[in-house]
Amino acid sequence: MVLLMILAFLGIIGLEVPGLVRKKMWRELTAFAALLVIGMALSIPQTLGMTIPNPNTYIEILFKPMVEWLKK
Amino acid sequence: MLEGGKISSGQAVFLNITMIIATAMLAVPAIAAVHARQDAWLSMLLATLLALPIAWVTASLGTLFPGKTLVEYTEDILGKWPGKLLGLLYLLWFIHICSIMIREYGNFLIDVFMPETPLIVINILGAALAAYTVKNGLEVLARVNQIFLPIILISVILIFLLALPEMKLERFLPVFEAETVKIFKGAIVPWGWMGEIITFAMLIPFLAQPGQTRHTAVITIPLVGLFFTLLAVASVAVFGPVFSNMNFPVLNAARVINIANFIDRPEPIIMAIWIIGGLLKISIFYYVSVLGFAQWLNLKDYRPLVLPVGVILIALSIAVAENMLELTHFLGNVSPYELLTFELVIPLTLLLIALVRRQGGNRQ
Repeated sequence: MVLLMILAFLGIIGLEVPGLVRKKMWRELTAFAALLVIGMALSIPQTLGMTIPNPNTYIEILFKPMVEWLKK
Repeated sequence: MLEGGKISSGQAVFLNITMIIATAMLAVPAIAAVHARQDAWLSMLLATLLALPIAWVTASLGTLFPGKTLVEYTEDILGKWPGKLLGLLYLLWFIHICSIMIREYGNFLIDVFMPETPLIVINILGAALAAYTVKNGLEVLARVNQIFLPIILISVILIFLLALPEMKLERFLPVFEAETVKIFKGAIVPWGWMGEIITFAMLIPFLAQPGQTRHTAVITIPLVGLFFTLLAVASVAVFGPVFSNMNFPVLNAARVINIANFIDRPEPIIMAIWIIGGLLKISIFYYVSVLGFAQWLNLKDYRPLVLPVGVILIALSIAVAENMLELTHFLGNVSPYELLTFELVIPLTLLLIALVRRQGGNRQ
């Protein structure tokens, strides 16, 4: 599974990076790399069976009293 | 300008309608009925009235700052750094709701039609198709939507016309049984959903006729409200108040159809409109997130960001919930507050600040 994912990431890099380097779009390349690293950080732990923090839990804590009111 | 394409006002209205109804239409009557029972249709009407100001605020901000999107004019209104921070919050919100849409999209298909297929397969397929649409730009998205939205609407109406023999008007009785508070509680979720019209703030600069911005935004809400009300009326007429226990009343309405043992259970229609509509809605929010990121970082092109954002969306779509129950709890009880914060509270504050400080070029 992890191998497949790494292949997929290599595929994405292979699709986008050569064009960006050729056009010398360094800013775009940095943004691409940063977002891809975030994407890897979110997806690879999940394929290894770990759970990543769920944004919904925090949103629910934030609106706790109103959520309780709506549930009634 | 990152996006060279222009869309006509008609296409914009179509995009706005898809933006709201596509993933909502199957579930929204049931969520309203949990609180309002057989008065769910009143909740829909109330939600329509409540959502109109959101459309008005969206259009007002768009006309005050012509040629700029939501992530760009937050900087004009609040100054450089607070504006950037709020822009980032909006981007994270777009990504969050888009990942929830992908999850709903996949979970519906595996729950109802393809139980043996792993969720991740459908999520990846959906996101990949959406990525392709997004890469082709806004004009392509608008045209695809222009072709498919009428088909979606006609199919849903057809389902309910076929279900007419199952409908009984006495299921509406007693009318006004629910208290006002209950009707309001039932209206909160559709209100939040209709408020997704705020996403139009990211598309206003690409309108071919900027003069019609307000018209385009405000006309959407009554159209969507009418459609939601029809869905609620039809669901109540077919099932009575018990449909509040159903996840997807529109799907169940299709299941009870049987006309002369000849037209029987036309569920594949529902599957088709879900696949097309869900995909279009995901594409719109995906496009908005990617375009917003490119504007936020002052890039020259948004296309390189499509695939990395797609990876984030897919990863989040799996992480946002363990199962359908958790997702339904989030959509029914938590999401309206998150949605309305970003749709009403923040934009209204922005508009007030802009008006008080006399910012923006194009005031009427």
